[in-house]
Amino acid sequence: MEFFKPGRTFDFMGQRGFWIPLSFILVAISVVLCFYPGPNYGTDFRGGTEVEMAFGAPIDPSKVRSAVESAGFQTPDVVQVVDANKPYHFLIRVQDVSAISEDEKAALRVALCYVEDPRSPLTDPVKCPENARATEVKFSAGGDKVSTRYDSEANLDVIKDQVRSVPGVSLRASATNPQVLNPRDHRVEIQLLGKGDQLVERLRDKLGAEAVPPDAALRVEWVGPKAGKQLRDSARNAVAIAIVCIMLYLVFRFDLRFAPGVIVACVHDAMVVIGVFIILHKEITLSTIAAVLTVVGYSMNDTVVVYDRIRENLGRYRGKSFAQIINLSVSETLSRTILTSGATMLSFLAFFIYGTSVIKDFMLALLVGIVAGTYSSIYVAAPLTEWIDKRMATRSDAKKKVLEHSGPRVTAPG
Amino acid sequence: MPKKNVLALLSAVLTVVLAGVAIWSHGEPLPVLGATVAALAAVTWGVKPSPRRNTLWMLTIAVGSAVLFFYYDNFWGLFSAGLAFVWLVFGLLPTMDPGWRLRLGFVVAVFVGGAILLWPTLDGVLPTAESAAEGSGPTRALRAIGQHLHCPPYIKDRVAFAIAPGLDLSGGLRLVYTVEVEEAIRDKRDNFADEMRLQLATLLGVRSGEGRLTHDDLPKLEARVHVSQPESAIIRLKFKDKADRAKLDDRFTKSFLAELSETQGPADDEVTFKIRGDIESQIRERAVAQAKDTVSRRVDELGLREASVTTRDEDIIVEVPGSDQQSFRDIKDTIRRTARLEFKMVDDAGSEKVFGPPAVKDEDLPEGEGLALYEETAPDGLDGSSHRKSARARFARISCQPPKYSNESLAECLTRFRAWTKTISIPDDHVVGFEPVTEPVENSEPLQFKQVGWRTLYLYSRAELTGDYITDATTTTDQQNFGQYQVLLSFSPAGADRFEEVTGANVNRRFAIILDATVDSAPVIRQKIGGGKATITMGAGDQEKQLHDARKLELVLRSGALPAPISPSSESVIGPSLGRDAISESLKGGLLGATAVLLFMLAYYRKSGLVADVAVLFNLMLQLAVLATFGATMTLPGLAGLALTIGMSVDANVLINERIREELRGGKSVRAAVDAGYSRAWPSIIDGHATVAISGIILMQYGSGPVKGFAVTLFIGILCSLFTGFFCTRAAFDWWVRGDKVKRLSVGAEF
Repeated sequence: MEFFKPGRTFDFMGQRGFWIPLSFILVAISVVLCFYPGPNYGTDFRGGTEVEMAFGAPIDPSKVRSAVESAGFQTPDVVQVVDANKPYHFLIRVQDVSAISEDEKAALRVALCYVEDPRSPLTDPVKCPENARATEVKFSAGGDKVSTRYDSEANLDVIKDQVRSVPGVSLRASATNPQVLNPRDHRVEIQLLGKGDQLVERLRDKLGAEAVPPDAALRVEWVGPKAGKQLRDSARNAVAIAIVCIMLYLVFRFDLRFAPGVIVACVHDAMVVIGVFIILHKEITLSTIAAVLTVVGYSMNDTVVVYDRIRENLGRYRGKSFAQIINLSVSETLSRTILTSGATMLSFLAFFIYGTSVIKDFMLALLVGIVAGTYSSIYVAAPLTEWIDKRMATRSDAKKKVLEHSGPRVTAPG
Repeated sequence: MPKKNVLALLSAVLTVVLAGVAIWSHGEPLPVLGATVAALAAVTWGVKPSPRRNTLWMLTIAVGSAVLFFYYDNFWGLFSAGLAFVWLVFGLLPTMDPGWRLRLGFVVAVFVGGAILLWPTLDGVLPTAESAAEGSGPTRALRAIGQHLHCPPYIKDRVAFAIAPGLDLSGGLRLVYTVEVEEAIRDKRDNFADEMRLQLATLLGVRSGEGRLTHDDLPKLEARVHVSQPESAIIRLKFKDKADRAKLDDRFTKSFLAELSETQGPADDEVTFKIRGDIESQIRERAVAQAKDTVSRRVDELGLREASVTTRDEDIIVEVPGSDQQSFRDIKDTIRRTARLEFKMVDDAGSEKVFGPPAVKDEDLPEGEGLALYEETAPDGLDGSSHRKSARARFARISCQPPKYSNESLAECLTRFRAWTKTISIPDDHVVGFEPVTEPVENSEPLQFKQVGWRTLYLYSRAELTGDYITDATTTTDQQNFGQYQVLLSFSPAGADRFEEVTGANVNRRFAIILDATVDSAPVIRQKIGGGKATITMGAGDQEKQLHDARKLELVLRSGALPAPISPSSESVIGPSLGRDAISESLKGGLLGATAVLLFMLAYYRKSGLVADVAVLFNLMLQLAVLATFGATMTLPGLAGLALTIGMSVDANVLINERIREELRGGKSVRAAVDAGYSRAWPSIIDGHATVAISGIILMQYGSGPVKGFAVTLFIGILCSLFTGFFCTRAAFDWWVRGDKVKRLSVGAEF
């Protein structure tokens, strides 16, 4: 079996006038998308809302997941907790957080008689009695909790009324809300209705009141990101060092002309994958990062194989121009390129079709990346190398001219 | 037939018969193996001298050592000898040249070794007798076979590692810790109090010299103003003289007002400072963030690449994959360790007032608790002319496990001791430290020590130096002290200066090294110590435990102290985050995809495709086997690394086969085409693999968390792919085209 008739040379370089601007545009779009609207980071990076739930009736994790998804929450983490007392105990993490707008925050501060806020009606003894003047008002990162501090023992009933007076926010119904957290420094926690409650509500609609009893939500809380600054910084440094080392290796094994092409091609592919993810509103998670790294590895290998043929042919055909050699080399390796990327895509495609949520996204990134990686070896890395070669040739020509004037001309044999 | 051969054969037969008798009578494998060695040796002796006979000799040695290793229950020795045996057996094959036979033998030995290493991992996947009965048709038949492939307990007990599926694929343990942020606030308050003392001393003119207050200055300051810390965020100054109160000028208050609020009272001569609310919240937040960073560093250093660490308000949530209780215990120990290291001076001269009469008398001690008071002569600095002085010091000691508490642990004993010391009144600027008391174990050779109790050390409460100044910690052995293990600490330049200053000012005094609330040791400072190094000894206990403890300590010290203690608040077992159904569906997809690729290769390259397929499968197995020896965790990102290297190993085969086709097209003979194909494909394969390997190494070195996991898989995969793609397939092709007998090579195209 053969896909291509051997010996044919395609004119890849002739079309670069079309493909290179296209690549530029694609990367530019991706860069713009990175800032506006910006990547949709998942709970791994941003944190989110974690709801601990005990269902009242037997339920399958996959059913919970699909219920959460159909309630409008993207790629939730649904984890079953092994718990002898509560057999249907789950942790549900969604990236949505309940945001309180700045206006609402300001209104809450005033209503809670925050002493440092000049607009607080501190003189009004009904709204702001002595024992309900907050010395500190803090909003949790998840937006569903307000913690306040008082100078003396706080009057919880007044605080309740204070919060109720603010339009747009509502207290979570519970006997222990607001609650004194720390009697020593009179810290009070006020829980507001947030995304977590919304999630529980919707789940009750979907799964029925029997499965989601009133006390189903054991705990609703904002959780911090898994991948903190530490991981981001270390990943960034690692990638930077890796780029330098790979360039050095290529300079050593090939020559200076080849090194930038591989890196530019890798960046191109990574950007395209990220761009596609942003356009499709897919969440960027730790798995996506792994997928991007995989794409970069694939692209690197692919480009190096094409380069290797160029290097070989450069030595074999001295008379041909660099562009011709690229055409020849890419054509010669085309069969291999199609085979390898085809085989790899074949296996990922099956994963993609059968996979669900996270795995599907993961495979999508890989599929897009492999198309981009294969394309970029031919239309990004090779033309860039040719362009650098031309540049270096004109510069060395200029040098040669200087040499001509100063002494006998030295020509290389061959 | 020469006589020697007959003799050899006879003796071989005899040994085999003897072995048969041995099995029949005892059922033990050892005599059988011994007999096999003897039989082999006899046969070898009979063979004519030749390279083959040499191989046979080595084979005999391999089997012999295997028997010895088996006898002494040295599994890894047996493992290596067994692989050597496999290798050498292939060296004996009556085909091809010796070089090829050795290559083939090596490939087969690697295969067998990999299979054994992977066996315990696969054991969990294989169907059990019950599950084999389910299903129908071919799956049922497969399951029926599968249930007989379980790993024998002999291997399972000795191969202690396996690939652990990660949190996303199989769940694990979820630990919730609460950061005791109050402790961090108290710490900060103590820092403020120290700073205040320093400024007050300057203000009141009781300070001698520059730098920190000396232990002689402190009582002088105490005589004028009493600095106390009654609550966690409060510092109270009580002036003895109202005139001193007036000296508190703006300069003094201003330097603290950014972080503290000042109020008069409660009494006339008192001033109270309180840490401001926003500053306190800041301290809380920072303590949680720092604790999270420290915990994730520790988790990373433990090699749990795929554990996740998140925060939730003032909680830290650690999720650890797997289900191994022992490793969970280790993890919990390491995570919780505060690893707060402090260096404090021992006030031996002052101890008499506190632990001696009339404050504490022997008669006052409760009965049956194992408590006793002691007196010792302790060094007490230098006198005016640099002569060493000594002082009488008193201390209390507890002997653990008195008849009343015969089952208590050392920690419980310490709790009792601590409770008793609470009954003694200790001045504000002092604390009691607790040091283990050891005694030599009778008749132990070499001499070993065992902890039997605790003693007190009367310390100044101010820490002269803390773990914050440590840049590195390494485990070493102490040559002077029976090769005991110790942890060598390196201080930062600032810490080294401080250490030098402190030791210089306190020559001939004792210096307590305190780790997590107990005194590790209290050596006497003989002279000023420069260079910024200190050691922590590992105390009593056998060597293995010492090393284990030293390693753990090294890890926690290097990852930094927790800013505040953390206490476990809940613990639960959790399921996979990806969902079992999603995983099984995806696995189906993966299997389908893989099958499609293998079939495609087979269709495209025919027999060469078969070679490639076998190589790719071999690569997969080998890679998993190596990952298993690392005890790696398999997660979705890890699978991505796996997929990439599988892709690259397909690529290597494609590259080689395409080259061979090209060479055949160019009119080369089959054998020459294979040679040329391999040598031409080599540069592309090695360059491609090398660039990916470089990025793998660097991500492994500098990355953290899942990035690191991905990189490890990637790097291992690259090495395996080179081996299977190049080395193994070459052996197959060489056998195929041997002696140029074939005129056609099946690479899927006709030439």
